[in-house]
Amino acid sequence: MLVFAASDKGGTGRSVTSSNVAYRRALAGDDVCYLDFDFGSPTAAAVFDVPGASRGVASAGLHSHLQGRHTEPHRIDVWAESEHDELRYRPTGSGRLVLLPGDRDGGEFAIGKDTVRRCVNLFLQLESEFDVVVVDLSAGRSYAVDMVLEATAQPELQGVLSRWLVFHRWTHQHVIAAHGLVFGERGIVAGGVERGHDKGALRDSIRFVRAAVPDPESPLWSHVPLAQSEWMRKCDRDLTELAAELELGYARLLGKIPLEPVLQWREQLITDEDVLASKVAGMATRQALEELAAALVDDEAWERQ
Amino acid sequence: MTEQIFRETTAEPRTQSLPLAHVSLELGHLYMEDFEEGPDRLREHFARVKPWADAARQAAVVMSGNGRARVSTCFLVDDYFTQFSSPRELVPLLLGEAKAAGLEIDYLARESACAQADGVALAASVESRLVESPPEGSDGSRPGVREVGWLSNGQRTPSSSTAEAMGRVVPWTPPSEAGARRHSIFVDVELWNEDPRRTWSCPFLAAVWQLARLGLLRHRGSPVLEPRALRPDQTLPETWSALPPLLRLNDAAAPFAAYRTTSVLPSRFLPIEHAVRVILSQVEADAAALRQVAERAAAEGTQVPEEIADRAAYVFYPGP
Amino acid sequence: MAPPDRDRRPILCGEVRTSVLRTSEALTARTAAQLLNLRPDEHVLLSERPNLRVASPQLLTGVDCRLPSLNGSRPRAVGTVAARAVLTEGRVLQASAFARLVPGGGDHRKPWGHYLLRPGVVEPLGRHQDGEFTEGFLAAAPLPGGVLNPGAVAERLLDEVLRHRLLDQRAPFKSGRTRLRWVALPAAGDGVTSIERFTVAADGLRTVALRVAPADPSAVAALCEDLALHDWLLTTLVALVERSRLGSGDREAVLTALRPVVDHLLHLWMPGARVPDVLSGVWETLERRPGFSRQWQALVQRIRDQVALQTVSLPRPVLADS
Repeated sequence: MLVFAASDKGGTGRSVTSSNVAYRRALAGDDVCYLDFDFGSPTAAAVFDVPGASRGVASAGLHSHLQGRHTEPHRIDVWAESEHDELRYRPTGSGRLVLLPGDRDGGEFAIGKDTVRRCVNLFLQLESEFDVVVVDLSAGRSYAVDMVLEATAQPELQGVLSRWLVFHRWTHQHVIAAHGLVFGERGIVAGGVERGHDKGALRDSIRFVRAAVPDPESPLWSHVPLAQSEWMRKCDRDLTELAAELELGYARLLGKIPLEPVLQWREQLITDEDVLASKVAGMATRQALEELAAALVDDEAWERQ
Repeated sequence: MTEQIFRETTAEPRTQSLPLAHVSLELGHLYMEDFEEGPDRLREHFARVKPWADAARQAAVVMSGNGRARVSTCFLVDDYFTQFSSPRELVPLLLGEAKAAGLEIDYLARESACAQADGVALAASVESRLVESPPEGSDGSRPGVREVGWLSNGQRTPSSSTAEAMGRVVPWTPPSEAGARRHSIFVDVELWNEDPRRTWSCPFLAAVWQLARLGLLRHRGSPVLEPRALRPDQTLPETWSALPPLLRLNDAAAPFAAYRTTSVLPSRFLPIEHAVRVILSQVEADAAALRQVAERAAAEGTQVPEEIADRAAYVFYPGP
Repeated sequence: MAPPDRDRRPILCGEVRTSVLRTSEALTARTAAQLLNLRPDEHVLLSERPNLRVASPQLLTGVDCRLPSLNGSRPRAVGTVAARAVLTEGRVLQASAFARLVPGGGDHRKPWGHYLLRPGVVEPLGRHQDGEFTEGFLAAAPLPGGVLNPGAVAERLLDEVLRHRLLDQRAPFKSGRTRLRWVALPAAGDGVTSIERFTVAADGLRTVALRVAPADPSAVAALCEDLALHDWLLTTLVALVERSRLGSGDREAVLTALRPVVDHLLHLWMPGARVPDVLSGVWETLERRPGFSRQWQALVQRIRDQVALQTVSLPRPVLADS
C-alpha cells in the first residue's frame, strides 16, 4: 500500500505524525518504508533520530535518485541505525522499518518524464517489498505532489492501492486551506483528474487527519473559567460544522491527534517509554496514533462515503 | 562432455550466412523532387555518376587483393516520405537512362523497405541495437544521456531545467564531440519523430540501408531484405507496395551484400551521410553476422575495415 | 606495452539482481518469451529442462569510468557491459550484467566502434592489479560514483522488465531484491574452478569471488545467476517463514502466510541444474559449507510439518480449496 502524507500548510505535524504512524505499523508487524518527499526541506531522518542524516544524506538521497544521479537510493534501517534508545532494538514480532532520506541541502526540482519514470519504478519496487510505503510530501502545492499524482496515474500503478492522508490543524484557516488543497481548482483531485485519475476513485482514496486538536473536555482545560471553556466548545462546534460543509467531516476523517507538546517540540517518535515510563507524552496521544495507524489499513474506514 | 548429451535447439540460436560481393556500389537515391525535374535530370545524374562508378570498380579490384572484384550496383527510390509515379512507369525509365550512360542497375530498393520489409521492422530492430558512446565518467549508473529519438556524436550542453531550487547556478558548457581533435564537430541526429505516427528520419533509414548492403542485418538469425526477382510471368506493378522491397534486376549480378559499400551521391547528401556515420559508429551489429563476414574475407584474402562505419565509402560529386 | 599484461587472462566481474516477478500467476514459456523480447531481431533463449528458464538477448551499455580499487589509484577503463534478463519458472526475475577486463587497451580511448566490436569487454587504459580490482569491487560499501558499476546496469534492466505491461504488478508475496556482486579470476595451474568467498552482507548484498577454468563469460555469468537465484530463494524463504511467525502465532494465520510459499517457491530449488561441468565444483563447496540445500530442506520440512499438522487438526481441509 502506498500512503501519501500531504498538508496545505507547514506546521501541521504531517512529518512527525506520519512517521509515528509508520512506526506504529512496523510495531504491529508490517514491513514499513518511509520516504522523505519533502524535497524543499529533507529532514525526516531527524524524527527517527538517525545520526548523520538529520538534514538528509550526503549522497544517494531521494533527490539524486529521482533526478537520475544515483541508481540506488540510500536506505536507512531504522532499527539498526537510530540512536533513539527505544528504536535501537527491533521488538519481537515487529516488521522492518526503513527510511529513504533526501539529499542533504537538496531543494525542490522540476519534474520531467524521466523523474516520473524513476518515481514509478521506486514505488513499484518498494510496494513489492513492503506492506506499507509512507510518502511524506512537501507542504502545499508542490512538484512532489505533481510527481506522485503523475506517477500513480501510470498504468503500472493501477493495481497498487494508494491512500492519501491530508493533515491540517484544527483551525478555521487550516480547515479552509485543507479543503482547497484537496478539492480546490488546482487541488489534488483536479490535478489528479488532469493526469488521468478517476475522479471518484481518487476522492475516495483521500482522508483527513486533524492535528494539534485541543480537546475542550480534557482535564488540561478543567481549571479554565467557565466562559472560556464554553467558548472553546463553541469554537469546536463551529469548526465541526465548517469541516462538514467543506467535505472534511466525519465520513472523510481518519484520525484526530491531540495537541501534544512532545510532537510539537521534540518532533520525534512517541514510544511506549515516553508514555509509560518517563510520561513525557500523553496516553491520549499514543492512543490516537495507534488508532490512526490501525485506521490506515482498515478497509472499512476507507469505504465510508 | 556430459553437458552436450542433452540439447535444446531453442536455447542455441543459429545465424545464417549471406553471399557477399566485394563492393556494393550505389548509383543514386531518387526523391520526388528529382523525378519532377523530368527525364533530363536522370540522364544528367547518370552521366555524372558514370566516371566515378568506373573509378569505384577499379578501386574495388585494387582493394580486393586478388586481381578481380565482385561488384554489385544498386539504386534507392523513395517511397517512404513521398510516393510518386509507379514502378511500372519509373523502373523502365530509370533502367533506360542508366543504360544510356553505360551503367547497369543490378538491384532496386524501396526506401520504405529500410523501415519495414517482409513483415520485419528493420528500423526498430536497428534502433534497439544502438549503444551510445559513453562520455567520460559513465560508470553504468546513469542511463545514456540519450534523448529519446536523438543520437549525438558526443556530449550535449547540459540542460538547466533539472536544477534544484536554490541550487548553485551551473555555468553554460558547450557541447563536445567524443574523441574530438582539439575542436569539436558536434552533431545531433534526429532518428525519428512522432506526429502522431512514427516517421523514421532519412539518415536513420540510410544507416539501415548501409547495414543491409554490408550484409549485417538478420532477423532472429535469418537474412532480411533478400533480393527477389520478378517471376517471368510478372510485370512491374502499379503500386510501390506491390514491388518486392529489394528487386533483383540482373540475374547475373554479384551478390547484393558486400564487404564494403561505395555510394556515388550529389554533394548535398553530405550532411545526411555524416549523420549515417554517427549512427553506424554506435550500432552493435549482429555478432554472428560480423564474424561470418570477417571469416569469409579472411578466407578470400580480402581486407575489411574493423569498424562498420569505415566500411562505407562515398563519392560526392558536384551535382544537382 | 607491458608484456606481462599480454599474458594475463582476463578477469570477469558482474552483478546479478534478483527479484520476484510482479505478477499474480507465473508466466508460461510463451509469455515469458514475449516479456524478455528486448531486441526484436534476436532470439529469446528458452530452455525447458530441468526447469523453465528464459533468457533475453544480451544488451550492451557503454562505460568510460574508473576501475574500483581500495588504495585510491583507479585506472580508467572503456568498453561495454553486457546485460541480460533471466526468468526462472516464470516467477523469479534476474538481471545480470557482466564484463570481461581485457588488458592491453593502450593508453588512450579508441574510436567507439572498436569497443562495439568487443561486446562485454572493458579495456583498462594503463596498468591495473587484479587483486586491487577484486578488493575494491567486492568491498561491501556501495561503489563510489564514477567507478565501474555493473549492478547499476542490472538494476535499470530489472526495473525496465518489471514495468512491462504483461505484468499485473501483483506479486503473490512481499519480498526484497538481492544483489550478488562477483569476480571470477582465472584458476591457477590445473585450472579447476573453485569458490574463494561467498559473503552475505547487509541490505541484500552478497559478494562472491571465484577461480574459474577457461570458460565462456556467459557461462560464468550463468553460474553466478544460479548462485544468486538460490541465495534469493533461501533469503526469501527465511524472511517469509519469519513473517509467518511459524511456531508462535495462530495456526490458520501461519498457514495463510505460508500458502504463497508453497504455491510459488518450493518447487524452484534446483542448484547447479545448468552449470557446465567445467564450472562445477562451486556448488559442491557451498553444499558442504554452509550447506545451502540443507538449510532449504530444513525450512521446507518445517513448512510441510506445519501444513500436515494443520490438515490433521482441522475438520475441513484448508489447503484443498481454490
